[in-house]
Amino acid sequence: MNRRRTLTAGLCGAATAAVSLPSWGADRLRIGLTPVILADQVAFLARWGRYLSSRVGIDVEFVARESYQSILDLLFSGQIDAAWICGYPFVRFESELTLLAVPLYQGQPFYQSYLIRPKTPAPEVQGWADLKGRVLAYSDPLSNSGWLVAQAQLSKAGVPTRELKRSFFTHGHRNVAEAVAARLAQAGSIDGYVWETMRVQGMSAIAKTEVIWKSEPFGFPPLVARKGHKHPQMEALRQALLRMGDDKVGRDLLTSLNLSGFTTGQVSLFDSIRRQAQQVQGSGVRG
Amino acid sequence: MLRRLPYRVQIPLGLSLAVLLAAVLVTAITAQGQAQNSRRDTLSLLDRAVVLVIAQVRPLLAADDTWRVFSLLRDTAQLVPGADANLARLAILTPDGAVFAASDPVKLETGRQILGEPWRGQPLLSAPDMERRQQLGLPDGSVVLIDPIRSEDGQPLGFVFTEVEAAAFAPDWASLARTALIGIVLAVTVLGPLGWWVGKRMARPVGRLVAVIERIGRDDPGVLRDDVPKTTDPELSRIGDAISQLMSELERRKAAEERALSAERLAAVGKMTAAVAHEINNPLAGMLTATQTLHLHGSTEAIRLRTIDLLDRGLQQIRTTVAALLPQARIEDRPLEPGDLEDIVALLRGTADKQRAEIRVQVDVESALRVPSAPLRQVMLNLLLNALKAAGEGGVVAARLQADESRVRLCINNSGPVLSEDRFKRTLAAESGNDPRGFGLWVCQELANHLRGRFELDTTENTQTCLLFEVPNREAPEGQT
Repeated sequence: MNRRRTLTAGLCGAATAAVSLPSWGADRLRIGLTPVILADQVAFLARWGRYLSSRVGIDVEFVARESYQSILDLLFSGQIDAAWICGYPFVRFESELTLLAVPLYQGQPFYQSYLIRPKTPAPEVQGWADLKGRVLAYSDPLSNSGWLVAQAQLSKAGVPTRELKRSFFTHGHRNVAEAVAARLAQAGSIDGYVWETMRVQGMSAIAKTEVIWKSEPFGFPPLVARKGHKHPQMEALRQALLRMGDDKVGRDLLTSLNLSGFTTGQVSLFDSIRRQAQQVQGSGVRG
Repeated sequence: MLRRLPYRVQIPLGLSLAVLLAAVLVTAITAQGQAQNSRRDTLSLLDRAVVLVIAQVRPLLAADDTWRVFSLLRDTAQLVPGADANLARLAILTPDGAVFAASDPVKLETGRQILGEPWRGQPLLSAPDMERRQQLGLPDGSVVLIDPIRSEDGQPLGFVFTEVEAAAFAPDWASLARTALIGIVLAVTVLGPLGWWVGKRMARPVGRLVAVIERIGRDDPGVLRDDVPKTTDPELSRIGDAISQLMSELERRKAAEERALSAERLAAVGKMTAAVAHEINNPLAGMLTATQTLHLHGSTEAIRLRTIDLLDRGLQQIRTTVAALLPQARIEDRPLEPGDLEDIVALLRGTADKQRAEIRVQVDVESALRVPSAPLRQVMLNLLLNALKAAGEGGVVAARLQADESRVRLCINNSGPVLSEDRFKRTLAAESGNDPRGFGLWVCQELANHLRGRFELDTTENTQTCLLFEVPNREAPEGQT
């Protein structure tokens, strides 16, 4: 059984563990996770949940979904209190969301989008312009690095998406890497932080792919809360996140996440995403 | 090589080999059966896999979800034999026959047109013509299946393309060999020793029979008969009965031999008695003639002395003959003299006259005679009596005594029917055994043997029967008188 199936099975089991079904109440905090991180490691999430619970004073649970839209639906319906989403949905629904914290990757609240291709056979794709007549894998329709950047770059390279041979969503950055490694797609648009974290963890898909393009830095996918529905312990949660680097357990958890820490962050961090979204037709972000 | 081994080893070894051979044969037949079933099982499994894929892929096609279709195909392909070795692959084709997603995108690239195009040299129907399953058998034994996927209202949603290479249908020889090896090892380690033990048990009565047979002639048959193993096996029982019967026969034969030996001893005593009587009887006739001569001509001094002398020598001969039977009564015998032949002839003159036969005597003695007189006189008497009998009425008997430094030779001819070599030998044999009345020739042969000489029929003489008695011209061997 491969890692993916193991983790999928684990996710099912997680419904009764650290990753629970959403429920209402102020006696706990529920955080939604999207594929912006490798959030399908149940044991890790259980440890992180216990850590945050001890800091916040109430139970902290994680709720994982494969798509960004599902998590946003849970957030907007009040079934979760906070969510770790991408910068693109943040700017798209900025009027309804508030920043909780922004992760620090390699000490900075930034990350990049990568264009990857299979290592073998002989490279056919050298850049965005070579994707005409090729198969391209995206991550999620609400992902900055896994869709929005690709749309912008294809437009910039003069390759209309209709001239792609085929494109499809893999419901996660990790799956983009696996689709390209299996040569289901000849290129993939992926979150650079996720690709690097997979490489650090020695995942096999990374060995079969290579990065052929890196974007400018974008604001790192933030943790957000819904405006006007602030949980009493939300500030405590923010403080717990910001201080994770202050103790060993927190540092170990951050190491597992391949992060340096968390910062309060500013909305302006996502200006570049906003500008890019404004240029992409159908992004839902108006100028 | 097996035949050189003892029977008691052959049976257990044969049983063990039979067990091993049976294990190998069963394994071979099983392997052949599995090989024949392998292709059918694989195709059956493919059918089930296709049904599963069609059921699962419909909503994914409706959602245009390439990734999840790929995941489904990748997982389902693991069920198909040969997928591990990249020998089997599944793909979902779009309604126009291009690859939507495949379990092996390297060989079935996303977006590649499949239907309506040749596949490994074989034409495939175009998508509109593909109304039901198309099964393509490729020349190398590979199989391609194309199954339409339809919505509930019958609209085409796509196709399941399945390809299994020929090698995937091949039996898993490594697995079969491993199973066979386990079977053979089990047979050798468990059934082999069992077969050996059973074989040893079966052969044990044979070993006991062999031991009994080896003791025949050495041990008491009564004891041996008790040692013959009692078994319910009909063949071994027959062998045991045969051995018991053989021992009974041997017992009877031994008793018969003992009786025959006893009878032979009695016959020898009778034979000796008859021989002695014969040897005494021979000179008696001449001596009786001499006594008649004394009665008639005893007044003549010369005849009387000569007759008495003749009687004396005759009695001396009888004495010598009797003394030969009494080892403790050794009698000093004188050497033969040339006149002994004429003396014997004189003893027989009466007999010869009765049948008007003529006895001619020739003596050629060139050297001193050193042979004992008694046995030679006995030989002369026997041979002359025999010759007179053979010569018949009016016949002629010629007696010739020759002697030189090395030998003494007596040759007796008669004018009767010529005696053949075979008859001479038969007569000797008969006289030695079954005819105690005619001991003359047999005694001559015994004396010749004893004196290191020879007694035979002179085969160079064709017209007459000539019996030749020849001994070395020396004193008798030690103990002989």
